[in-house]
Amino acid sequence: MKRFDCLGIIAGAATDTLVVTSAGAVTLEWNALRPSDGNFRVRTLGLCSSIALGMALGLPQRKVIALDGDGSLLMNLCSLPTIARMHPKNLVHIVFDNEVYEASGSKQTATATGTDLVGMARAAGIRQALWTHSVDEFARIVTEALNGHELFFIGAKVTTERTEVPPYPMDEVENK
Amino acid sequence: MTAEDAARTILNGLKAAGINLIATLPDINLAPLLHEVEADRDVIHVPLCREEEGIGICAGGYLVGKKCAAIMQNGGFFNSNNAIVTTLLQYHIPLLLLIYYAGDIGDRTFSTSGSMTEPVLQALGIRHYVMREPDDAPELIKRAQILAEDSKRPVALLLTKESLGRRASIKSL
Repeated sequence: MKRFDCLGIIAGAATDTLVVTSAGAVTLEWNALRPSDGNFRVRTLGLCSSIALGMALGLPQRKVIALDGDGSLLMNLCSLPTIARMHPKNLVHIVFDNEVYEASGSKQTATATGTDLVGMARAAGIRQALWTHSVDEFARIVTEALNGHELFFIGAKVTTERTEVPPYPMDEVENK
Repeated sequence: MTAEDAARTILNGLKAAGINLIATLPDINLAPLLHEVEADRDVIHVPLCREEEGIGICAGGYLVGKKCAAIMQNGGFFNSNNAIVTTLLQYHIPLLLLIYYAGDIGDRTFSTSGSMTEPVLQALGIRHYVMREPDDAPELIKRAQILAEDSKRPVALLLTKESLGRRASIKSL
């Protein structure tokens, strides 16, 4: 799968949803697809899922999506048991797993040698944790997650292909 | 003041300052305080696995209008430094940090951590105040929260062992 295609599906399904994006190219691609005051760009590798959790706990009536990466989540694996423990039903945690540290020279991450992030999420206690294997399946699961009222962890193996998009239009304080 | 009374005084101080989301990781000296936080129905309590994730959770809470505090040992503060720098400081996000001051004068553990705590806070430009009396908690917490909100930066209160009250049941380490 291509990450940009998956992001396009989310952009179509998530109109006013709060979206937190991990450090890396996913931020730029997402912001090109859905520019919004509801986008927050994370600069601390690993913290995407935790910031999204804080938003979800603080605003339980709004859906919050975390657009995470494998390198990022691997750095903050302890967010999985904490998310499972707090169990916010308005959080949808999506991980695009391209098996490399894409923004840092494309060295392999541990998922390239078999680490299963969905398996780890499930083992942490997140019941709705599943891999999606095609763009169609991704679309179906994302739609179900956004329309439902349950904590979701959705994994998608994606290629390392990047889509050319404009640079991020604001600095961190403006983004806040 | 007993540890239980000190814990209630500190928590009441946090609530009076408007704090309504608290992320914590235990230290034995913080146990009575965390017990109070856990039992309170007015605040969202987030028990952490590692302190750095708590910085992210509190930042997220702030972005949607919560007033947050993080309670940890100074070892956890050291664990949190990248998040403090690249999220809190870089984005101008306030956060009240309540840090147990392990290795403070008179403490028989973690003297190295104690020696590094204030220099690291200073290096990060984080205003910090040492709390030695539980009676001081409400006023110090109120002022620290005002400073955090006004400066849009984290502010740290260093909780010494005596500021957490007398411990009846657990022999001092």
